[in-house]
Amino acid sequence: MNSLLARFPVRLLIGLAAPALLIGWWQWQASAHIVSFAPPAAVGSALVEMLRSGDLLRDTLSTLARAFTGLAIGAPLGVALGIAMGIWKPVDRVLGPLLHALRQVPMIGWLPLMGLWFGVGEGTELIVVSMSAFFPSMLNSHAGVAEVERRYLEVGSILRFGTVQRIRFILLPAAMPLVLTGITQALAFAWIATIGTELLTGAGSGLGVAMGQAQMQQRLDVMLVVIGATAALGFVINHLFRRLRRSALRWQPSLP
Amino acid sequence: MTPYPHAREDRLSAKTGRGELIVSDLNKSFTINGQPRRILDNINLTVRPGEFVSIVGASGCGKSTLLRLIVGLDTEYSGELRLDGERIATTSLDRGIVFQDHRLFPWMTLEQNIELALLNTDTPRARRAQIVADHIALVNLKGFEKAYPHQLSGGMAQRAAIARALVTEPRLLLLDEPLGALDALTRVHVQSELQRIWMAQRSTMVMVTHDVEEALYLGDRVIVMSPNPGRIRRIVEVDLPHPRDRRSPLLHRLKDEILAELTSGADADGDAGNLVHLPSREAR
Ligand SMILES: Nc1ncnc2c1ncn2[C@@H]1O[C@H](COP(=O)(O)OP(=O)(O)OP(=O)(O)O)[C@@H](O)[C@H]1O
Ligand SMILES: [Mg+2]
Repeated sequence: MNSLLARFPVRLLIGLAAPALLIGWWQWQASAHIVSFAPPAAVGSALVEMLRSGDLLRDTLSTLARAFTGLAIGAPLGVALGIAMGIWKPVDRVLGPLLHALRQVPMIGWLPLMGLWFGVGEGTELIVVSMSAFFPSMLNSHAGVAEVERRYLEVGSILRFGTVQRIRFILLPAAMPLVLTGITQALAFAWIATIGTELLTGAGSGLGVAMGQAQMQQRLDVMLVVIGATAALGFVINHLFRRLRRSALRWQPSLP
Repeated sequence: MTPYPHAREDRLSAKTGRGELIVSDLNKSFTINGQPRRILDNINLTVRPGEFVSIVGASGCGKSTLLRLIVGLDTEYSGELRLDGERIATTSLDRGIVFQDHRLFPWMTLEQNIELALLNTDTPRARRAQIVADHIALVNLKGFEKAYPHQLSGGMAQRAAIARALVTEPRLLLLDEPLGALDALTRVHVQSELQRIWMAQRSTMVMVTHDVEEALYLGDRVIVMSPNPGRIRRIVEVDLPHPRDRRSPLLHRLKDEILAELTSGADADGDAGNLVHLPSREAR
């Protein structure tokens, strides 16, 4: 029974059941005129129109580029600092309290300040997205290194590892599961922050920008297309990354 | 049988020492609940170069603590520990250990784990792969080179840990219940392997075990320890040449003697919680 449920086509069918129900409900709502709702058919034609004009592609690419640039800046910095804090206590003592205080501010909360400093535009958006990717990477990497089991460090001592060897052969690999968890979270946070900042700043192109414009133009159909695209893309990216993580952690008996 | 992989003589001649361990007036305390507590009390012991010494004693009498001191992981003690005249102050590639748990790195394959032990040795890079392969064969793990530790059984992982400790050819090898996790059959087999390896290599070995039979089969001497605080209660000479026959009457007589010693100790201290548990009893 369980093996049947685990088969890919079966899993796909089960996974699609809830979205199908949602669409059915939506069709019924739209035809019953209870709230203002675009029927699926209208959304479908908006999708075709947006695909044809290239708007959807352009917005999607802008958002992807922004999210991944932010991730590429924030995650490595976070991983490096988190690991440094885990290895060298003084780094943690000096920077830890500041960073833990700063992360209490929701990322969107930085937008007004950054806007004042750097103007509303690409720079500000990138800073906020990078920060969103930075914190989860930093926190998880720190925990990963700090929680390395002592018994493995003792083996390193027996084998006369120097600092670099200890980091390379024990601390980093032992911390890797949590480092990758941090990066997975960073990815999700960067994605959310990207859409959020786009929506709030409304500058250039992007899925968030398109959402804002659709609201102003009262284009419910366009809005639903963009929401659908955001959800689907986020899902696919997250799924791909989880598979990457799994293959990087082959050595683990089972994954949480 | 696999002959011992590579000649040891070149290394031995390069080194001054041959693996003589001297423990004198060793005392060790731990602070438990704010109170200092004596764990090892006035331990005196000389292990001759190339000798195999077994240590038996009740659980908690300080056997692992003693090995940790000798290997240099714990340096807070009073008294003296010397290997070939040199005071032990930290870890060294001259002293290897097989821990009670195998401690292979889970993120590396069996092969990588063993090769990593050679990282800081002067073994030429070109020869390392061969040496690693020889040692994997030595502990009968051929075919599992690319396996991760979680894909090995407990006994296989323990044998891999033995290979990792042997590959650096330490002058002194410490073994902390290395076969504790093995089933009776594998255990007998690995004991013979261990004896064969030791005879070929002739490095000094000190092995802690709960199995009196095992202690006698392998040891030139058996150190019997008593708990609270850990002391050497008796040293039993096993005057039999290697390789040994398990059925030797001498071994059986000595076994009965040591068992009597261990159990009478528990009675005398009136500490039932420290009764020695002897896996060999179930194993037979
Ligand atoms: N790090 C430590 N801090 C405090 N007490 C410790 C520490 N390590 C060991 N002890 C104490 O030292 C005593 C001896 O422990 P040890 O591990 O050496 O026993 P053992 O003879 O190896 O026992 P076993 O046969 O069960 O492995 C125990 O009472 C234990 O509580
Ligand atoms: Mg122990």
